[in-house]
Amino acid sequence: MGAAVTVQSRPPASAEDRERFEVLVGEHLDGLFGAALRMTRNRTRAEDLLQETFLRAWRSFHTFKPGTNVRAWLYRILMNAYIDGYRKSEREPEVVDQEDVDEFYLYSKVHESEDFRRAGNPEEALLSRLMDADVKGALDSLPEAFRNVVVLADIEGFSYKEIAEILSIPIGTVMSRLHRGRRQLQVKLWDYARRAHYVRSDSQSPNAAGGSR
Amino acid sequence: MSELDCEQVLEQVWTYLDGEMTEVEYLEIRAHVSECEGCGGKYEFQRRLLVLIEAKCHEGVHVPHALKQRLFRLLEE
Repeated sequence: MGAAVTVQSRPPASAEDRERFEVLVGEHLDGLFGAALRMTRNRTRAEDLLQETFLRAWRSFHTFKPGTNVRAWLYRILMNAYIDGYRKSEREPEVVDQEDVDEFYLYSKVHESEDFRRAGNPEEALLSRLMDADVKGALDSLPEAFRNVVVLADIEGFSYKEIAEILSIPIGTVMSRLHRGRRQLQVKLWDYARRAHYVRSDSQSPNAAGGSR
Repeated sequence: MSELDCEQVLEQVWTYLDGEMTEVEYLEIRAHVSECEGCGGKYEFQRRLLVLIEAKCHEGVHVPHALKQRLFRLLEE
Protein backbone atom coordinates (compact mmCIF):
# COMPACT_ATOMS: atom_id res chain seq x y z
CA MET A 1 0.00 0.00 0.00
CA GLY A 2 1.15 3.54 -0.68
CA ALA A 3 1.42 6.35 1.77
CA ALA A 4 -1.30 6.20 4.32
CA VAL A 5 -3.92 8.76 3.57
CA THR A 6 -5.37 10.17 6.70
CA VAL A 7 -6.99 13.25 5.40
CA GLN A 8 -9.56 14.62 7.74
CA SER A 9 -12.63 15.21 5.59
CA ARG A 10 -14.31 17.42 8.13
CA PRO A 11 -13.19 20.26 10.33
CA PRO A 12 -11.83 19.04 13.64
CA ALA A 13 -14.57 18.52 16.16
CA SER A 14 -14.82 20.99 18.97
CA ALA A 15 -15.45 20.15 22.58
CA GLU A 16 -18.90 21.51 21.99
CA ASP A 17 -19.57 19.03 19.18
CA ARG A 18 -18.42 16.27 21.41
CA GLU A 19 -20.75 17.28 24.14
CA ARG A 20 -23.68 17.57 21.77
CA PHE A 21 -22.89 14.14 20.40
CA GLU A 22 -22.64 12.60 23.84
CA VAL A 23 -26.01 13.93 24.89
CA LEU A 24 -27.72 13.02 21.64
CA VAL A 25 -26.32 9.53 21.30
CA GLY A 26 -25.91 8.71 24.97
CA GLU A 27 -29.57 8.24 25.60
CA HIS A 28 -29.88 5.70 22.77
CA LEU A 29 -26.93 3.53 23.71
CA ASP A 30 -28.92 1.04 25.77
CA GLY A 31 -31.46 0.61 23.01
CA LEU A 32 -28.75 0.17 20.40
CA PHE A 33 -27.01 -2.36 22.59
CA GLY A 34 -30.21 -4.37 22.95
CA ALA A 35 -30.65 -4.38 19.19
CA ALA A 36 -27.00 -5.36 18.70
CA LEU A 37 -27.44 -8.25 21.10
CA ARG A 38 -30.50 -9.44 19.29
CA MET A 39 -28.75 -9.32 15.92
CA THR A 40 -25.41 -10.85 16.87
CA ARG A 41 -26.75 -13.13 19.61
CA ASN A 42 -23.40 -12.80 21.29
CA ARG A 43 -22.28 -10.39 23.94
CA THR A 44 -18.74 -9.73 22.71
CA ARG A 45 -19.86 -9.24 19.16
CA ALA A 46 -22.65 -6.98 20.34
CA GLU A 47 -20.14 -4.82 22.20
CA ASP A 48 -17.96 -4.62 19.11
CA LEU A 49 -20.92 -3.73 16.97
CA LEU A 50 -21.98 -1.04 19.39
CA GLN A 51 -18.49 0.44 19.33
CA GLU A 52 -18.36 0.37 15.55
CA THR A 53 -21.76 2.04 15.38
CA PHE A 54 -20.71 4.66 17.87
CA LEU A 55 -17.55 5.50 15.93
CA ARG A 56 -19.30 5.62 12.59
CA ALA A 57 -21.93 7.90 14.05
CA TRP A 58 -19.22 10.18 15.39
CA ARG A 59 -17.42 10.28 12.07
CA SER A 60 -20.57 11.24 10.22
CA PHE A 61 -22.00 13.43 12.94
CA HIS A 62 -21.29 16.54 10.85
CA THR A 63 -23.83 15.25 8.32
CA PHE A 64 -26.55 14.78 10.90
CA LYS A 65 -29.22 17.45 10.66
CA PRO A 66 -30.27 18.69 14.08
CA GLY A 67 -33.95 18.25 14.68
CA THR A 68 -34.24 15.14 12.50
CA ASN A 69 -34.78 11.63 13.79
CA VAL A 70 -31.66 10.71 15.79
CA ARG A 71 -32.86 7.27 16.68
CA ALA A 72 -33.60 6.25 13.10
CA TRP A 73 -30.25 7.74 12.02
CA LEU A 74 -28.43 5.64 14.63
CA TYR A 75 -30.28 2.43 13.79
CA ARG A 76 -29.47 2.95 10.16
CA ILE A 77 -25.78 3.17 11.03
CA LEU A 78 -26.12 0.12 13.25
CA MET A 79 -27.76 -1.93 10.50
CA ASN A 80 -25.11 -0.91 7.98
CA ALA A 81 -22.29 -1.70 10.37
CA TYR A 82 -23.85 -5.05 11.03
CA ILE A 83 -24.25 -5.83 7.36
CA ASP A 84 -20.70 -4.72 6.52
CA GLY A 85 -18.88 -6.34 9.37
CA TYR A 86 -20.79 -9.15 10.89
CA ARG A 87 -22.68 -10.84 8.17
CA LYS A 88 -19.71 -11.06 5.84
CA SER A 89 -19.97 -13.94 3.45
CA GLU A 90 -22.77 -15.87 5.04
CA ARG A 91 -25.22 -15.06 2.30
CA GLU A 92 -28.67 -16.16 3.07
CA PRO A 93 -30.46 -18.11 0.39
CA GLU A 94 -33.40 -16.44 -1.25
CA VAL A 95 -36.23 -16.33 1.17
CA VAL A 96 -38.97 -18.77 0.38
CA ASP A 97 -42.15 -19.32 2.30
CA GLN A 98 -42.33 -23.05 2.83
CA GLU A 99 -46.01 -22.87 3.40
CA ASP A 100 -47.79 -19.65 3.08
CA VAL A 101 -50.35 -19.25 5.74
CA ASP A 102 -52.84 -16.52 6.42
CA GLU A 103 -52.52 -13.66 8.86
CA PHE A 104 -54.60 -15.47 11.47
CA TYR A 105 -52.77 -18.77 11.47
CA LEU A 106 -52.26 -18.98 15.21
CA TYR A 107 -55.77 -17.84 16.01
CA SER A 108 -57.20 -20.53 13.73
CA LYS A 109 -54.96 -23.24 15.14
CA VAL A 110 -55.90 -22.42 18.69
CA HIS A 111 -59.56 -22.49 17.88
CA GLU A 112 -59.30 -25.76 15.98
CA SER A 113 -57.44 -27.46 18.80
CA GLU A 114 -59.50 -29.71 21.06
CA ASP A 115 -57.05 -29.20 23.90
CA PHE A 116 -57.26 -25.46 23.81
CA ARG A 117 -61.00 -25.43 23.33
CA ARG A 118 -61.33 -27.57 26.41
CA ALA A 119 -59.39 -24.94 28.33
CA GLY A 120 -62.39 -22.63 28.13
CA ASN A 121 -60.52 -19.60 26.88
CA PRO A 122 -58.28 -21.07 24.19
CA GLU A 123 -56.56 -17.82 23.25
CA GLU A 124 -55.62 -17.00 26.79
CA ALA A 125 -54.47 -20.58 27.34
CA LEU A 126 -51.98 -20.31 24.51
CA LEU A 127 -50.74 -16.79 25.02
CA SER A 128 -50.18 -17.25 28.72
CA ARG A 129 -48.24 -20.46 28.19
CA LEU A 130 -45.76 -19.23 25.64
CA MET A 131 -42.42 -18.67 27.28
CA ASP A 132 -39.85 -15.98 26.64
CA ALA A 133 -37.65 -18.61 25.05
CA ASP A 134 -40.43 -19.69 22.68
CA VAL A 135 -40.99 -16.20 21.38
CA LYS A 136 -37.30 -15.36 21.15
CA GLY A 137 -36.61 -18.67 19.48
CA ALA A 138 -39.37 -18.08 16.96
CA LEU A 139 -38.01 -14.64 16.19
CA ASP A 140 -34.46 -15.95 15.81
CA SER A 141 -35.63 -18.63 13.43
CA LEU A 142 -36.89 -16.12 10.89
CA PRO A 143 -34.80 -15.47 7.80
CA GLU A 144 -32.71 -12.41 8.50
CA ALA A 145 -34.48 -10.13 6.04
CA PHE A 146 -37.77 -10.79 7.83
CA ARG A 147 -36.31 -10.79 11.30
CA ASN A 148 -34.74 -7.35 10.96
CA VAL A 149 -38.01 -5.81 9.87
CA VAL A 150 -40.00 -7.54 12.61
CA VAL A 151 -37.47 -6.43 15.23
CA LEU A 152 -37.54 -2.82 14.04
CA ALA A 153 -41.34 -2.72 13.95
CA ASP A 154 -42.46 -4.89 16.82
CA ILE A 155 -39.69 -4.45 19.33
CA GLU A 156 -38.15 -1.11 18.48
CA GLY A 157 -41.46 0.45 17.50
CA PHE A 158 -40.36 2.16 14.29
CA SER A 159 -42.91 3.18 11.66
CA TYR A 160 -42.92 1.63 8.19
CA LYS A 161 -41.40 4.80 6.79
CA GLU A 162 -38.60 4.85 9.35
CA ILE A 163 -37.82 1.20 8.69
CA ALA A 164 -37.69 1.89 4.97
CA GLU A 165 -35.09 4.57 5.66
CA ILE A 166 -33.12 2.50 8.14
CA LEU A 167 -32.82 -0.47 5.78
CA SER A 168 -32.81 1.54 2.53
CA ILE A 169 -35.68 -0.44 1.07
CA PRO A 170 -39.06 0.68 -0.29
CA ILE A 171 -42.04 0.88 2.08
CA GLY A 172 -43.83 -1.81 0.08
CA THR A 173 -40.96 -4.17 0.82
CA VAL A 174 -41.08 -3.28 4.50
CA MET A 175 -44.75 -4.19 4.58
CA SER A 176 -44.44 -7.44 2.73
CA ARG A 177 -41.48 -8.58 4.84
CA LEU A 178 -43.12 -7.55 8.07
CA HIS A 179 -46.37 -9.26 7.28
CA ARG A 180 -44.70 -12.43 6.04
CA GLY A 181 -42.37 -12.37 9.01
CA ARG A 182 -45.32 -12.22 11.37
CA ARG A 183 -47.01 -15.08 9.56
CA GLN A 184 -43.92 -17.25 9.83
CA LEU A 185 -43.53 -16.30 13.44
CA GLN A 186 -46.99 -17.68 14.13
CA VAL A 187 -46.13 -20.97 12.44
CA LYS A 188 -43.08 -21.24 14.69
CA LEU A 189 -44.99 -20.36 17.81
CA TRP A 190 -47.54 -23.03 17.06
CA ASP A 191 -44.69 -25.47 16.55
CA TYR A 192 -43.29 -24.63 19.96
CA ALA A 193 -46.68 -24.90 21.56
CA ARG A 194 -47.07 -28.38 20.15
CA ARG A 195 -43.56 -29.54 20.92
CA ALA A 196 -43.70 -28.29 24.47
CA HIS A 197 -46.97 -30.16 24.84
CA TYR A 198 -48.94 -27.07 25.54
CA VAL A 199 -51.10 -29.06 23.14
CA ARG A 200 -51.05 -32.74 22.35
CA SER A 201 -48.94 -33.34 19.33
CA ASP A 202 -51.42 -35.39 17.28
CA SER A 203 -54.30 -33.96 15.31
CA GLN A 204 -53.66 -30.35 14.31
CA SER A 205 -50.12 -30.52 13.00
CA PRO A 206 -49.68 -28.97 9.54
CA ASN A 207 -47.31 -31.79 8.68
CA ALA A 208 -49.15 -34.51 10.50
CA ALA A 209 -46.96 -37.30 9.17
CA GLY A 210 -44.00 -36.25 11.29
CA GLY A 211 -45.96 -35.78 14.45
CA SER A 212 -46.62 -39.34 15.54
CA ARG A 213 -43.20 -40.96 15.53
CA MET B 1 -68.35 6.00 2.38
CA SER B 2 -68.07 2.37 1.34
CA GLU B 3 -69.13 -0.43 3.61
CA LEU B 4 -66.26 -2.80 4.22
CA ASP B 5 -66.85 -6.52 4.25
CA CYS B 6 -65.08 -8.87 6.64
CA GLU B 7 -62.49 -9.96 4.12
CA GLN B 8 -61.42 -6.39 3.45
CA VAL B 9 -61.25 -5.68 7.16
CA LEU B 10 -59.19 -8.76 7.97
CA GLU B 11 -56.71 -7.96 5.21
CA GLN B 12 -55.83 -4.75 6.95
CA VAL B 13 -55.23 -6.06 10.42
CA TRP B 14 -51.52 -5.23 10.51
CA THR B 15 -51.70 -1.79 8.99
CA TYR B 16 -54.50 -1.02 11.43
CA LEU B 17 -52.63 -2.27 14.48
CA ASP B 18 -49.46 -0.55 13.33
CA GLY B 19 -51.32 2.72 12.96
CA GLU B 20 -50.29 2.92 9.32
CA MET B 21 -53.50 4.17 7.77
CA THR B 22 -55.47 7.35 7.41
CA GLU B 23 -57.89 8.38 10.09
CA VAL B 24 -60.86 7.77 7.80
CA GLU B 25 -59.75 4.21 7.11
CA TYR B 26 -59.02 3.68 10.77
CA LEU B 27 -62.48 4.81 11.86
CA GLU B 28 -64.15 2.71 9.21
CA ILE B 29 -62.37 -0.39 10.38
CA ARG B 30 -62.86 0.36 14.01
CA ALA B 31 -66.59 0.69 13.44
CA HIS B 32 -66.71 -2.68 11.70
CA VAL B 33 -64.56 -4.43 14.29
CA SER B 34 -66.64 -3.21 17.20
CA GLU B 35 -69.81 -4.49 15.57
CA CYS B 36 -68.56 -7.75 14.10
CA GLU B 37 -67.78 -10.46 16.61
CA GLY B 38 -65.71 -12.57 14.22
CA CYS B 39 -63.42 -9.76 13.14
CA GLY B 40 -63.34 -8.32 16.64
CA GLY B 41 -62.02 -11.57 18.13
CA LYS B 42 -59.36 -11.91 15.48
CA TYR B 43 -58.22 -8.33 15.78
CA GLU B 44 -57.97 -8.62 19.54
CA PHE B 45 -55.91 -11.79 19.29
CA GLN B 46 -53.46 -10.21 16.84
CA ARG B 47 -53.15 -7.20 19.06
CA ARG B 48 -52.29 -9.36 22.03
CA LEU B 49 -49.83 -11.32 19.93
CA LEU B 50 -47.92 -8.15 19.10
CA VAL B 51 -47.92 -7.13 22.74
CA LEU B 52 -46.55 -10.56 23.64
CA ILE B 53 -43.74 -10.36 21.09
CA GLU B 54 -42.72 -6.97 22.37
CA ALA B 55 -42.85 -8.05 26.01
CA LYS B 56 -40.94 -11.29 25.53
CA CYS B 57 -38.24 -10.04 23.20
CA HIS B 58 -37.43 -6.62 24.49
CA GLU B 59 -33.92 -6.72 25.87
CA GLY B 60 -33.99 -4.46 28.87
CA VAL B 61 -30.23 -4.18 28.84
CA HIS B 62 -27.89 -1.47 29.90
CA VAL B 63 -24.55 -0.81 28.33
CA PRO B 64 -21.96 -1.76 30.95
CA HIS B 65 -20.47 1.27 32.60
CA ALA B 66 -16.91 0.38 31.57
CA LEU B 67 -17.92 0.07 27.93
CA LYS B 68 -19.71 3.37 28.00
CA GLN B 69 -16.65 5.04 29.44
CA ARG B 70 -14.46 3.45 26.81
CA LEU B 71 -16.74 4.70 24.04
CA PHE B 72 -16.76 8.25 25.26
CA ARG B 73 -13.03 8.18 25.70
CA LEU B 74 -12.69 7.25 22.02
CA LEU B 75 -14.10 10.64 21.12
CA GLU B 76 -11.19 12.40 22.69
CA GLU B 77 -8.64 10.76 20.44
